[in-house]
Amino acid sequence: MKQIKLYILTLFAAVTVISSCKKDFLERPPLSQITTDNFYKSSSDLRLVTAGLYAQPWNDWNSFPLLAIGDILSGNMLQPYNADLAQLTAFSVTSQNGQMSTSWRCFYKIVAHCNTNIKAINTKVPDSVALKNKNGALGELRFLRATAYFHLAQLWGAVPIIEDNDKLIKDPLLPRHRLADVYRFIVNDLRFAAAALPTRDQAGRVTTWSAQGMLAKVYLTKAGIGGNRKQSDLDSAAFFARNVINTSGLTLLPSYYNLFRTQFNDNPESLFAFQWAPGVGYGNGNAIQTQFAPSSSVVPPGGGWGGAIGPTFDLDSLYTPQDSVRRKATFMLTGDHYPELNAAGGGYTATSCSVKKHVVGTAADNNAPTMDIWSSPQHNTVLRLADVYLVYVEALLGTNSSTSDAEALRVFNMVRKRAGVDPVTTITTEQLRNERRIELAFEGQYWFDLVRLSYYNPQGAVTLLNNQILKNTRVQFSYDPATGKKTRNTNGIVITPPTIATFTLPIPATEITADPKLLDPPAAYY
Amino acid sequence: MLMVVFLILLHLKGYAQEKQITGKIVGNDNPMPLRGAIIQVKNKKTATSTNEQGQYSIKANMGDVLIFKMIGFQPQEIMIGDGSIINVILRIESTKLDEVVVIGYGDKTRRDLTGSVSSISGTELLKTQPTTVDQALQGKVPGVVVQQISGQPGGGVSVQIRGLSGFSNNPPLYVVDGLQILPSTGDKGTNPLSSINPSEISSIDILKDASATAIYGAQATNGVVIITTKRGVSGPPVVSYDGYAGAQALPKYYEVMNLREYATFMNEKSAIIGYDLRPQFANPAYLGVGTDWQKALFRTALMQNHNLALTGGDARTKYYLSGTYFSQEGIALGSDFRRISSRLNLDNKTTDWLKLGVSLQLANVKENVTTSQTGVIRQALNQTPDVNVINPDGTWGGNDPNIYGATGTNPFALAKIVKDLKNRYELFGNAYAEIQFAKGLTLRNELSGNISTATEDQFDPIYTMGAYSKTSNSATYSSGKNTFYSLTNYLTYGHSFANKYNLNAMIGHESKVWEYENVSASRTNFPSNNVQAISGGDAATATNAGEKGQTAGESYFGRIDFKYNDKYNITFNVRDDGSSKFAPENRWVTTYSGAFAWKLKQENFFKDVKSIDDLKLRVGYGLQNNQNIRDYAYGSTLRTVTNSLSGNSQIIATSGNPDVKWETTKGYNVGLDVSILNRRVDFSLDAYYKRTDNLLLSLTLPLYSGMVDATGYAPGSIQSPYINIGSVSNKGIEFSINTHNIKSQNFNWKSNLTLSHNTNKILTLNTDAAALYGYAGSTAITKSTVGRSIGEYYGYETLGTYKNAEDFKKYPALPQKGGLPIPITNGSGGVWVGDVIFKDQNNDGVIDENDQVFLGSPIPKFQFGINNSFNYKNFDLNIFMSGNYGNKLYNQVRVDAENPNQNFGYFKNVGEYARIGLINPTGSAADINNVYITNPETSITRISQASGNGNERFSSKYIEDGSFIRCKSITLGYSFKENLLSKIYLKNLRLYAQVTNVFTITKYKGYDPEIGSWNPLAAGVDNGYYAQPRVFTIGANISILNK
Repeated sequence: MKQIKLYILTLFAAVTVISSCKKDFLERPPLSQITTDNFYKSSSDLRLVTAGLYAQPWNDWNSFPLLAIGDILSGNMLQPYNADLAQLTAFSVTSQNGQMSTSWRCFYKIVAHCNTNIKAINTKVPDSVALKNKNGALGELRFLRATAYFHLAQLWGAVPIIEDNDKLIKDPLLPRHRLADVYRFIVNDLRFAAAALPTRDQAGRVTTWSAQGMLAKVYLTKAGIGGNRKQSDLDSAAFFARNVINTSGLTLLPSYYNLFRTQFNDNPESLFAFQWAPGVGYGNGNAIQTQFAPSSSVVPPGGGWGGAIGPTFDLDSLYTPQDSVRRKATFMLTGDHYPELNAAGGGYTATSCSVKKHVVGTAADNNAPTMDIWSSPQHNTVLRLADVYLVYVEALLGTNSSTSDAEALRVFNMVRKRAGVDPVTTITTEQLRNERRIELAFEGQYWFDLVRLSYYNPQGAVTLLNNQILKNTRVQFSYDPATGKKTRNTNGIVITPPTIATFTLPIPATEITADPKLLDPPAAYY
Repeated sequence: MLMVVFLILLHLKGYAQEKQITGKIVGNDNPMPLRGAIIQVKNKKTATSTNEQGQYSIKANMGDVLIFKMIGFQPQEIMIGDGSIINVILRIESTKLDEVVVIGYGDKTRRDLTGSVSSISGTELLKTQPTTVDQALQGKVPGVVVQQISGQPGGGVSVQIRGLSGFSNNPPLYVVDGLQILPSTGDKGTNPLSSINPSEISSIDILKDASATAIYGAQATNGVVIITTKRGVSGPPVVSYDGYAGAQALPKYYEVMNLREYATFMNEKSAIIGYDLRPQFANPAYLGVGTDWQKALFRTALMQNHNLALTGGDARTKYYLSGTYFSQEGIALGSDFRRISSRLNLDNKTTDWLKLGVSLQLANVKENVTTSQTGVIRQALNQTPDVNVINPDGTWGGNDPNIYGATGTNPFALAKIVKDLKNRYELFGNAYAEIQFAKGLTLRNELSGNISTATEDQFDPIYTMGAYSKTSNSATYSSGKNTFYSLTNYLTYGHSFANKYNLNAMIGHESKVWEYENVSASRTNFPSNNVQAISGGDAATATNAGEKGQTAGESYFGRIDFKYNDKYNITFNVRDDGSSKFAPENRWVTTYSGAFAWKLKQENFFKDVKSIDDLKLRVGYGLQNNQNIRDYAYGSTLRTVTNSLSGNSQIIATSGNPDVKWETTKGYNVGLDVSILNRRVDFSLDAYYKRTDNLLLSLTLPLYSGMVDATGYAPGSIQSPYINIGSVSNKGIEFSINTHNIKSQNFNWKSNLTLSHNTNKILTLNTDAAALYGYAGSTAITKSTVGRSIGEYYGYETLGTYKNAEDFKKYPALPQKGGLPIPITNGSGGVWVGDVIFKDQNNDGVIDENDQVFLGSPIPKFQFGINNSFNYKNFDLNIFMSGNYGNKLYNQVRVDAENPNQNFGYFKNVGEYARIGLINPTGSAADINNVYITNPETSITRISQASGNGNERFSSKYIEDGSFIRCKSITLGYSFKENLLSKIYLKNLRLYAQVTNVFTITKYKGYDPEIGSWNPLAAGVDNGYYAQPRVFTIGANISILNK
């Protein structure tokens, strides 16, 4: 008996020793997730991490603020009932406005993803990965980061610059940085991207032309900081725009209308477009059409919440009768028929004046069975060639009030010709502004045009908006197809006159609570 | 079938000759004879008592059982054998000090305890009939704060032992028959402890201070709750049945507008704003009361519990076998809970040196969690009374499609037609072998496992509810498996020498592995709402997901207990823990503790103090470590997202911190246990201080970090890293007193009071100016900063509403827009009479973020429980009260429901919105000097779509006092006499009636002031809280015995 016990005791000791000697017992990496330690090992790994940043992280901005700020605030569009949106129309945006926090959060999310990946690529990628591929991935990331900062700068002015998110862990409270420094940071990123990115890549990926086009726009915008447009910046803008126009080999898509159909996703005109996929669920996809489509019959079941949203009288009055292609592609007038929307149901006939751009139809219309209300497959563009054309014209126009420069007229009329409207022989600043507004309406651009103007001509920018109030055009309207009569709507919104402060959005209240340093004057970054 | 088995076990008794039995009875405390002790033949009327010499004489048969009773002593039963003289030593009635207390890898009598340990017996547990084990702790144990997370059946409970030692959830470690369980906290609707059946519990021991918990090392920082289930006892089989049935109802309703009031209000609102009047509201007097959505959603719900147990055994084998059925409907539609469980506990003394045993429980829990999943309680408070529950044509009621903005859904319909069912099988198992090598030297091997598989079946149908119509249906089915195994070996050595010295030593090793895996599938476009199986959906819409994970831990531990002369007890614990959650260089950590107890009563100088029966002083100190972080917290991970470039792609999911290390808590405890007045009054007083350093937290950073903390949700954000962020202290006092107020043959009254007070303070955070914020939705509502306690509310202080032009002079500070104060205008973006006055805290003339102040803490200053039990002859009555004092709650429901400018349902008091009158009726309504509020006492704002004042911002307006006293339960029982029962072969029969949540005294306006939270940074938030029901129950306890 005693022996048995001795055996057991020995066994116990042995088991304990053996189990504790098994050093890897406590080595438990995740079973279903990739870790940063075992990723970033090949060129294809790098392609996967960059691809991830073309869609989902942009959701917060894309799903509403893109149009709420870009088009409602600028007076292209209106929704009188939602309190946050009514604030945008009334120029009474508070720091509690939900559109502020979602967009602020969105751009900084992009920044965080880019920063983390840039750091990982710089420290973890083995030498076996070709330098060209490594730089290409860095180029994509820095392009995306610059794009996020460009949005931040145009919306909030001076904002914190973050290059290494790991540093925030130890020291989370940052000041805002000077606007000029933010632009310098953006230019540095884009210049790197322009050099590192290839001239051609898989459709949908950014190339050097994307970076150069964006650089042109950034230079054009930053030119006005400080009050007068700097000629050197205007020259840089013209230089990069010209490069894209003349040497990229890219051309405008022949049909303006088709630009916004999913069958023409990533067409040659597209320089940077979100790469939304269908069937990805809430928070991961393109929800624009769900939010803005006027009827649930033209979108996947459950969507179509845009019945109360429509174009303003101000926007509508800019379109000449000849300009019907762009008008019909941008917004619907009562009675308009769209055969491709809900084609199986015989198409859609508009019953009100509503948003059309981004409304692409049902799952069957797009041959995308997994498409749901949160995931339109439309690859809406952030930057397209026509935008760069008009940036080029604006750079050439420079500080003059009009131009007849042949180069400027050539590209300007290419945009007009594609839209089916007559060419012009001179271009005034007002014509250019209206051309941009029409061409890019409901693509979130007009607010940025006004911000750009406010840098060097604040009174001019204020006046433009004020005129919408004075002329009572910052209102929706109804249209009677029988008589062709347009009647302005009334709503309860009392608009307070804009001031120069209108062009800098309030930083979200929670953010200021979390970091009171944001109230301090902007600090130097460089 | 089960009954047949039980009946077979009841065999008949033998027959014997009557004879005279004599003997003497003495007490065990001093050998004086006991006079007046009662001797009774069991189940017969024969009885006698002792004389002055303690002697007795009685006639009985061989095989009869004699019962010896004396007040103040434990009764004893002796079966009559061959002899005729039976001398008896009666033990003094067992006191708390004789209880066996489970202390982790061993047990002790309370008498010898050095640490702070509280216990609850199984019988005490049943008095409040908790649905789950953790509910049972409420008010019973000083220092333990128990609050319901949700009143839904089987809903979660937050348990904090001795305060908040961190910014994230601080659950204690639960150990069930040697099996360690960490309650998961991911889902507010479900509770893993809910699969344990409270009626099978023999005792619960709560280890509170470091000297007691250190033996469990990591994970035990927040205390340990040791649950011991009932085991077999030697003797003939006993079959017992415990059952009850009850009805539950919502104790309190919010006052909302009925249809007439709503129509009147909407007419007034339309007139002010300029909306079209609704024709059907033209004459409110002709309208009915409309729909009361609370009455539609809440119901009188039934619950029942049936437990059948069989226990018995012989010298070698003891068994306990039990089966339970429990079902509870929720008081809100769309919530139900059902548990079927069975338990087998076996102990076998195989040889004189080997003992084997198992504890096995298999449980099946089915839950309907539609209520919490669809948020229907909140929607019931949002929906308007003009909407029918069901329209006359049989369709679901919904908002009028012609009225813009009102797109609420029908909560009654949702609760009925949305499916969300959870089904869980859980196996708890523990097997042990105990080998005695020599006298006092024992090796125990334990293998424990917890395997659970769970499924969730969800279906979201197509429906139309007025303006709201959902045109596609979808289903999701998920399945998951969690496993936990641990292997524990420990060697115990006990030795007494020279009658004075007692040594007990233990060393051991333990290894543990947790693993989980789950998979889910979804489809949409089902041909009909009646086809709900996944395969019925459109295959082209199919999506699926799945993940796996694992964690491991390994430990070495030891304890030395030394007792000298029954006066001094010293205990030392040490434990070395390794955890896979940390990087190799931070993986191992040591926990230790020491404690000393001095039984003053045993000292000669105290022996003669008659008034004190027991007096013990305890002092303890210890260091503990905690690893309450996500798996693989030291590394960063990526996850898969879909885009059209590459199909699947990878984005950063979590940010790792390679330097993250164990959280450490150092603390001491001083305790005093006193027993006086012939042990009729026992009390314990404990004071403690503990300091936690290197606090682990998934950081809450500003939005510009692009990161959210582990509890936050923002698609595409990176989960922030866990870092060692700072230090927190907790100090407190716990007091408990047990008194036997009246002690007599027929009437007994016992009371128990527990009282605890804890102060929590943040000592350091990683940077000086740093603060942590807690959010309700996207609004920051709490701020935790150095020098204050965790999770204090932080926002604007309100000073009522502007009533006239005078008020604007009195409170000139206004919110700003674009650097300028908002205008005083009734136009857009302005402030006007009827808007809220915010206090300008820093007197800088503007209302901005700098005017936010601390608005109180959701942590109670005191928590208490009072229990009174009475026995009169065969009646028993138990009254249990518990309460909180000094905490605040955020009533988020009121933010919307008391806002006249939203488009949903309103509380009744919104009818008293701030009405604007004109001083000069012909003057301008836009002239501030010509307007005033005609009902200045109102707390509701004016009607205006355009106020720029931010009336609904987070402010003291919605912070309420959360103190309450609640009568948790009143139970009245009647036990039938034994001699009556024996004729029908019953040992015991008790019938009882009970009411729980009898009444609550509180100033809180919501349904229920007891609002628990697993997130200390956003605690006490009431956003449509599922209230605890009032329950009326009747029940029976029956046991059948063959003597």
